[in-house]
Amino acid sequence: MSFLPPPTLPKSRHVSPVIPVPPVTNATSFTFRTTTWQADGFGFDATSGEFFTASPTALVVMQCLAAKMTTAQILDRLTSTFDVPRRSAERDLESFLAELEGMGLGKS
Amino acid sequence: MNSSPTIAVTGLHRGENPQPGSAVIRSLRRVYPELRIIGLCYDTLESGLYSEEDAPDAAFTLPYPSAGLEAFWDRLDAIREVERFDVLIPCLDAEMAPLVESPEKLRERGISACLPSWKAFEARDKSKLPDLCERTHCRTPQTVAVNDVSSMHQAAAGFGGSVFVKGRYYEAQLASTPAARESAYWHMLETWGAPVLVQERIEGEEYNVIGIGDGRGHILGSCAIRKMLRTSNGKGFGGMVVRDPQLDAVAQSLIAELRWNGPFELEFVKPDGPKAEYCLIEINPRFPAWCDFPSTLNCNLPAAAVELALGWQPREPLRHATPGKFFIRHAIDMTGDIRDLAALTTTGQLIRASEEPRAKGIEPQTTCSLKS
Repeated sequence: MSFLPPPTLPKSRHVSPVIPVPPVTNATSFTFRTTTWQADGFGFDATSGEFFTASPTALVVMQCLAAKMTTAQILDRLTSTFDVPRRSAERDLESFLAELEGMGLGKS
Repeated sequence: MNSSPTIAVTGLHRGENPQPGSAVIRSLRRVYPELRIIGLCYDTLESGLYSEEDAPDAAFTLPYPSAGLEAFWDRLDAIREVERFDVLIPCLDAEMAPLVESPEKLRERGISACLPSWKAFEARDKSKLPDLCERTHCRTPQTVAVNDVSSMHQAAAGFGGSVFVKGRYYEAQLASTPAARESAYWHMLETWGAPVLVQERIEGEEYNVIGIGDGRGHILGSCAIRKMLRTSNGKGFGGMVVRDPQLDAVAQSLIAELRWNGPFELEFVKPDGPKAEYCLIEINPRFPAWCDFPSTLNCNLPAAAVELALGWQPREPLRHATPGKFFIRHAIDMTGDIRDLAALTTTGQLIRASEEPRAKGIEPQTTCSLKS
């Protein structure tokens, strides 16, 4: 059995949104690359049969990537959704994007 | 042919290394609950003989392949004096070769079967996979057939030391040390005969594709899974349906090249990494033990095999199973009766007196009455 490590954004803390931010889409699930993600953070890749879990922050990043947002836009969304300084979010985002790239899930 | 056909199935043991026969019976009863099915067994303790849900209506012992072909055909004739079965679904690798080599022996007895041609059967032999894969541009691990220990060590050294030592028909052991390789070599030689195969080890996720070929290069229906759970000897104990166009294309190209007729299982490994390609490990010329799982998802391949063997129109198109559906194997204890064991041991046959259909507890698909 193989479970790839769940994509996470280390050092980020999930808190109640300070400023209400509208979701990228109204759908309860979205597809990023070949993986369909549910709002609860469970992802299933129908082509490989693998499944993953993602933290709330990772889920937001992938939702943004699926919506073709730029890195700056993703940072805006992260800092408005979570209680995290922009510099720290920037560092975490960079590391997460590299992790996605390594898994073959980077920006297309 | 009987007005309603009788089907014979082999490979009824579902132990830690499960055989496919009981799963074939289960699938057949999903659509043909009245079908008469007989089990052909090599051992009176094959677990499927005693199942409440998917036991055959009658069972007969067969001589082990080591008794020779004449003994096999004589026994088949003797069984048909009691149960004149019309279709044979062989489910074990070791019994496939004599049947594929002499299909006329089945035909002249009035037995139908979905078998590949000898040429196709030979081309998918483990030792010939590299040729087949070269023709179909499919990746496969390097494999060398060896007939002595020294050649085995030499081949293993060329593959980095850690290799799979495989039996000619069945079984594989991962061996990383000279002692482990040698032990595996002698085990495979004693169990399955020469040659023993030494295969390069490729690490990655394992994918299997089950299907039926029509003998003209087309796949009538198929289902692909990723192995989620594996036993200590690598057998799948759980699998998740996947739908990958790349995997479908590789499977299609192999079956088209072979013009495969009948059931098959393709086994692949996909190394980690975004650009990785499916790597063909082996082609099994029969249904695998998980063949009833797709039947629960409207892809009943055993029923299609019987329809194909009998020249019946397919009931309905075989559907693609939905990705995300998965199976997990669950071992249970069953209760047998010494009288059944005694009948099989002493007379070589067990015919159940029960009038009730044996499809108890099996979730039906749209059932069909038997055609004459």
